[in-house]
Amino acid sequence: MRGGELQTSPATAAPVRRRVGPGSSRLLPLVPFVGLIVVWAVAWAVVRPKLATMPSIGQVAHTTQHLWSTGELWRDIGASLYRWGLGFVVGAISGVALGIVAGLNRIVARMLEPVMTFFTAMSGIVWLPLAIVWFGLGTTTVTFVIWNSVFFLVFANTMLGVRSAPRLLDDAARTLGAGRAHIVFHVIVPGSLPHILTGLRSAVGFGWRALIAAEIIGASTGLGAMIYQSKEFLRSDIIVTGVIFIAAIGFVLDTFILAPIERSTVERWGLVSTGRAR
Amino acid sequence: MNSGRLPRPVLALLFVVPFAVIIGVWVVVKHALHVSDDALASPAGVLAAARDLTGWGILPFDVSRSLYRLAIGSVLAAAIGIPIGLLLGTSRTCVAMFAPFLRFFQSVSGIAILPLLIVWFGFTEKTIQIVILYTALVPVIFNTMTGVRTIPPVYSDALATLGGGRLHVIRSVYLPGALASIVVGLRLGIGYGWRALIAGEMLVGAGGLGFMIFDARRFHDLGQIIAGMVILGALYLVIDRLVLAPIEAATIARWGLERT
Repeated sequence: MRGGELQTSPATAAPVRRRVGPGSSRLLPLVPFVGLIVVWAVAWAVVRPKLATMPSIGQVAHTTQHLWSTGELWRDIGASLYRWGLGFVVGAISGVALGIVAGLNRIVARMLEPVMTFFTAMSGIVWLPLAIVWFGLGTTTVTFVIWNSVFFLVFANTMLGVRSAPRLLDDAARTLGAGRAHIVFHVIVPGSLPHILTGLRSAVGFGWRALIAAEIIGASTGLGAMIYQSKEFLRSDIIVTGVIFIAAIGFVLDTFILAPIERSTVERWGLVSTGRAR
Repeated sequence: MNSGRLPRPVLALLFVVPFAVIIGVWVVVKHALHVSDDALASPAGVLAAARDLTGWGILPFDVSRSLYRLAIGSVLAAAIGIPIGLLLGTSRTCVAMFAPFLRFFQSVSGIAILPLLIVWFGFTEKTIQIVILYTALVPVIFNTMTGVRTIPPVYSDALATLGGGRLHVIRSVYLPGALASIVVGLRLGIGYGWRALIAGEMLVGAGGLGFMIFDARRFHDLGQIIAGMVILGALYLVIDRLVLAPIEAATIARWGLERT
């Protein structure tokens, strides 16, 4: 599976058609959110739905504050972040390490490609029923599913990266007398970094979404479980609170987790242009 | 990376070897370590389960159910998302406004919407359909929108000077120009939608492959679970590699566009 994620718009060469001040262009992204909130408020005021169907903004704010102060919110956020963190770190390390090893040998890489493609297609929540049989409901199952989602994606991208590293640099280093190990660590690995980082970047969001799905189906704590269980009690305000936090944390992870690493490596080295993601 | 150097029989062998190794390890683990049937099914057990499920008509029914839902969801996502994306793409301001908004909702996967949907629509077919539609819609709109943005303005300007109205510009410039991005968006949308579909089916319990493998837990039939998993993986591969990838390649080849 390709490192699938939303493509960001590349820096366009088009001239600016309208003169937009620097201040207003930064506020622009907020407009749809504000619009959504306005629509929500108006719709609620007009329809006055029951708490079971749709909460008011005030109710959501109140519930958030309540869950925050009783610590329930933190317990669930903590559980989710812990599982995601563990699954992501283990998946990333194992994916990169094995991907590099597999990618170094052309024959091995070609051999593994179909198998890994198949497992990538099968990765993630498809393993949930099996994981529940093996580990029961709870943290182990959820973490396993996240590891699964992250590992195959990162492995595939890493292996691709290693195979795509320009041979020229290899040979250049060797003419200067570099040994095999040196070439691996100082030429091939940095050369594969764009692909590796693409894989990691996709895996962040992928893993977070898999986390929520796994928690809904297979856990009793965590943000996913929180929003699923509240439907039993017809507490749509808790559901909406949970969804907002899921979106916010997911967004933060997506945007900020790898950015510093990317900035100090591939962007500084000029291997990718800023603002691009594949 | 020169594949021409390896003779064909060797290539075929290389393809088979890893699968054979996995099955070999699987058999060894199951029989030599005496892993119980409650923890793992043997390859033979999986095949038997697949054969039974097909014979009873369950497998074909569930597969067609899932594929049908995916198809409907994808067609709707395309029908709704592409026009919206095209319209949004015409304005630079709109794109700047909605790009972060859409990226934000990308994190709210269809499955996170599910509890709310269940509250509103119950454990029904409609719920599953909406989950797929929502999940697929975001990448389609986003990629269509940004695809339009990459078209050099000279084309739309040229058409405008010749008297083309906005609709004409959309039809003749934006649609073909953004086609490569649109197809990429569709591919992503269908990929994400497939996963959302499986998760949704597991929960909603209205038939389908996802529900089948989830439910097989109750009978402790790991053969069924693993058979279902393999079929799910294979189905996604078929859809992505044999259906979507060629469409993507054909579009780019036809229009000679470089993918952003």
